[in-house]
Amino acid sequence: MKRILAVLLVLAMVFSLAACSKDDDKKTSDNNNTNTSNTSTDSSVLDKEITLTLWDIAVEGDGNRPAYDSALADLKAKYPKVTINETVTENNAYKTKIKSAMGANELPDIFFTWAGAFLGDFVNAGKVHCLDDVLQPWIDNGEMTAAQLGNSTYNGKHYGVPTTYNIVTLFANMDILASVGYDHIPATMDELNDCCDKLLAKNIIPFGCAGKTDDTWCVTEYLEPIIEKTIGAAALKDIMTFGKTWNNQGVASSVDLLQSMIKKGYFDPDGMALGNEEVKANFMSGKYAFYQNGSWNCGDFANKEKVKFNVKAGEFPVVDAANGKLGMLIGGPSDTIAVSEGPNAEAAAAFAVELGRLICHYGYLKGSGLPAWKVWGDTSEVLPIVQEVAAICANAVDYVLFGDNAMPADEAAIYLEYVSSVYGGAVDGAAFIKGLTSEIR
Amino acid sequence: MKQKQKYIAIFLFLLPALLLFVGLLIAPIIMSIYYSLFNWNGLRALDPAKDFVGLKNYATLFNERIQFGSALKNAFILAGLSVFLQLPFSLALALALGKKIKGERAFLSIYFLPVLISTVVIGQLWLKIYNPEYGILNTFLRKLGYEGENIRWLGDQSIALGAVFVPTLWQYVGYHMLLLYAGVKGVSPELREAAKLDGCTDWQVNWNVVIPTIKPIIKVSVIFAVTGSLKSFDLIYVLTNGGPMKATEVPSIIMINQLFKANQYGIGSAIAVLLIILCFFFAILIGFVFKERDIYGKK
Amino acid sequence: MEKNNQVNVEQSSLKLDTSKYHVKKTNKGLRVLVFVGLILWAFINLFPIYWMFTFSLKTNEEIFGENVAGLPREWQWENYDTAFWGKGGRDKKAAGNVDGTEVGGFQLPKIIRQFINSVIITVTTILISIFAAMMATFAISRIQWKLSKLTYSMFMLGLTIPIHASLLPVYKTISSLGLLNTYTSLILPYSAFSLAMSILICSGFMEDIPKELDEAAYIDGAGLWKTFIKVIVPLMKPALATIGIYTFLQCWNELMFANQFISSGDKITLPVGIQQLSGQYLTEWGPIGAALVIATFPTLIVYIFFSKKIQDSFIAGAVKG
Repeated sequence: MKRILAVLLVLAMVFSLAACSKDDDKKTSDNNNTNTSNTSTDSSVLDKEITLTLWDIAVEGDGNRPAYDSALADLKAKYPKVTINETVTENNAYKTKIKSAMGANELPDIFFTWAGAFLGDFVNAGKVHCLDDVLQPWIDNGEMTAAQLGNSTYNGKHYGVPTTYNIVTLFANMDILASVGYDHIPATMDELNDCCDKLLAKNIIPFGCAGKTDDTWCVTEYLEPIIEKTIGAAALKDIMTFGKTWNNQGVASSVDLLQSMIKKGYFDPDGMALGNEEVKANFMSGKYAFYQNGSWNCGDFANKEKVKFNVKAGEFPVVDAANGKLGMLIGGPSDTIAVSEGPNAEAAAAFAVELGRLICHYGYLKGSGLPAWKVWGDTSEVLPIVQEVAAICANAVDYVLFGDNAMPADEAAIYLEYVSSVYGGAVDGAAFIKGLTSEIR
Repeated sequence: MKQKQKYIAIFLFLLPALLLFVGLLIAPIIMSIYYSLFNWNGLRALDPAKDFVGLKNYATLFNERIQFGSALKNAFILAGLSVFLQLPFSLALALALGKKIKGERAFLSIYFLPVLISTVVIGQLWLKIYNPEYGILNTFLRKLGYEGENIRWLGDQSIALGAVFVPTLWQYVGYHMLLLYAGVKGVSPELREAAKLDGCTDWQVNWNVVIPTIKPIIKVSVIFAVTGSLKSFDLIYVLTNGGPMKATEVPSIIMINQLFKANQYGIGSAIAVLLIILCFFFAILIGFVFKERDIYGKK
Repeated sequence: MEKNNQVNVEQSSLKLDTSKYHVKKTNKGLRVLVFVGLILWAFINLFPIYWMFTFSLKTNEEIFGENVAGLPREWQWENYDTAFWGKGGRDKKAAGNVDGTEVGGFQLPKIIRQFINSVIITVTTILISIFAAMMATFAISRIQWKLSKLTYSMFMLGLTIPIHASLLPVYKTISSLGLLNTYTSLILPYSAFSLAMSILICSGFMEDIPKELDEAAYIDGAGLWKTFIKVIVPLMKPALATIGIYTFLQCWNELMFANQFISSGDKITLPVGIQQLSGQYLTEWGPIGAALVIATFPTLIVYIFFSKKIQDSFIAGAVKG
């Protein structure tokens, strides 16, 4: 009896979803197809009573929270017998928590992680469940591409479900730019310098960047694009991901360029004492002209209640045209859902794939990132600023993953220490490459 | 009483304490000592044959990048400030309050207040106090006529250490004050009166009678101050987590960062072991110094 | 100074008639100076708390420059609504989307639940710590045996161990006992870490109990157990409050273990809760202030009512320890 009821419920849901999508939008006829294609995943493991634990960092107030809420609500309706115990932890505390849980063999069934070396360490320890089986149907039907899985693939096997992907984006306060005569984001270094000088003349700080210890990654959001637009994406990828030497004059000159910008007063001198949330709030209150950070901020900047001016998204101009090009971007699918080995692994894997896909869907709609999955459903309401970022990505030449994600933890820690010293002015370009060459390679 | 029975009784009496102590204090130390000999990331399974590096982790600590030495120096500075600034100040408060001053109880309660408030709260509060733009400190300075750039209390390498030490020391003044106050109150009134009848001033009474009498408590206070400084973590973690550019790093901060950020479990464990040894060493050293100096022969 | 003394002596000798013990008066100027100093220090200790209270009731505009240190112009009680019930305040409750927890049919704000958790954990820790410490101290200081001194020093080692250093080993132990996400996962390590201090205090108090009492009990034919329970435990009552205070100070605010060992939302402790709250409203100072006030308030109330008792116990510990 129960089973029949369940089947009826599921059927009713499928129909109602199909009906909704028809009413909503005619363009996305493949919506139907997408929802029914779920049957290609063997989800029977989710039709029995089971409790799964889920750890993530989507705290209240985080850009991703709405996407998590919607995704979990959808799945609760779809799999009423599955109970999800979610634990949400603040970003920095989460890193400690997940690592020691790993060390003590106490990983939750499903957990948020960062693709690249962070997840790699977990995979190497043999504690992450391989997701090839559950991902394959989605790859076969074209919902997920191998390219998006690249950062969470180790030894040819997939260990993560990407949710959204993000790139470093140059956000600009267009009202401030208009006040110095710019109706577009400066497209060349000359324009950028000119614009910054004009801003300074009007006592407006061009850039905001956090420099507190745990937020050094914010500095890399400035430094890495500069390096990439100087030495080119391929050369940077060689260094960050494939272990080539840091001994590269282009890196040194990029560091010097960043420092010369700091010296000229282009950056908020308070930055070193501020955390990212504070800097972001400053930008949102109109203190800076630019804020270069991840595209996950789009949703917040499009919130008209909090941001009273127009924000546009662009990319950092080319520094050295010999190697750097527009469309060479920093970022990629980094936010990932993984599943731990254990008695619940099979059910957790089936659940995680759908969770990742739904978080992607809602995250895209709500402006917390770009879709790593094939887009489905009504996308007419995607925020304009997200569409701007999507347009940048559409012209992408190449992506290099965020440095601290690409490198193993020990190297990333060293790298971040040097970057922090660069921002604080204690280390110049020559010392930067010398130090990293001797300590990493 | 039979010997055997006695030892069984001793064992049973000690059992709950021993279980807790050995299981949750001694065993972790031994595990830490063991881990400190390996090049291990704390995540995968430890391979004793392949990962063994001997004492190399201890040497690595003092290389140019980790700079454990400078963190240790910071901790010693804090310990020094604690012993030579915080404690005398607490002692002065205790002495002042110890002689039936008006509102004695109210003062005691107020001074002890910061000890009770969560470090997370204190940390958040001081972050707001130090905020370069909106913080109460810079606002106040500007009201006084300061017109320069914002002072970046937690972002400027040259002042950040001082800026994190101020709340660290401030928070526990009340703790030491109350400890010492207890001692001051414990000095028998007859002893004071006798000294006064001998023509001593208050100052002389304090110096010649009260302080020597409460030496055992001062000793305890000094031990707590020094070991507490060496172990200090919470407030600095909330305020700067060691930054800017390592300026405010103390051993515990490096330890946690090595353990959980850099995935260097061996190095982190080595710091844990060194910290325990240091704390123990100083506790014994301080005990010894006070014994030598204790001319009154009281324990 | 010399002259001053003489004057003082004269004064006091004059007074000797009325009060034998009133010998010397401190210089009046100095007294005033000391008093002013004490008031100033009290102000320095109270100001951050006053500031926290006021900014918890202000808007960002007021906090950020218009009115930094004064009383709030318009009292923003909705900051508390936000801190208690999450963004949107209590009205969200209508939508069934409140950040609360249900206890016996009542909706309680999360933070109250966290406070209750902290109380449960702290009180149990105190009880275990007292129980284990009294037994151990009895064995060490009232029974004659060879290694008693060494055992005592070993326990004192516990005073020097940094709690943060043992996170992973303790975590492994707790998880292998299957205790993660239970109150016990915090109670056990907290008890272990406060044991050294408790034994230190216990031995101070136990020294004051005359050995003759034990001997009398033995002569009456009581064994060690009976002596402990009938003679020692009743006389140790004054020590209980003292150990309680010290143990409270050690575990009430502990953050790292608390964050690591308990993951389920309905068992997390107050410090973890505040950390989460302050992470949420990082740039909205009003609700953060409100959260900080809420977190501090219960402790403050208890302290105001029991401050004399708390101080006396603390003091007793200092003297006995």
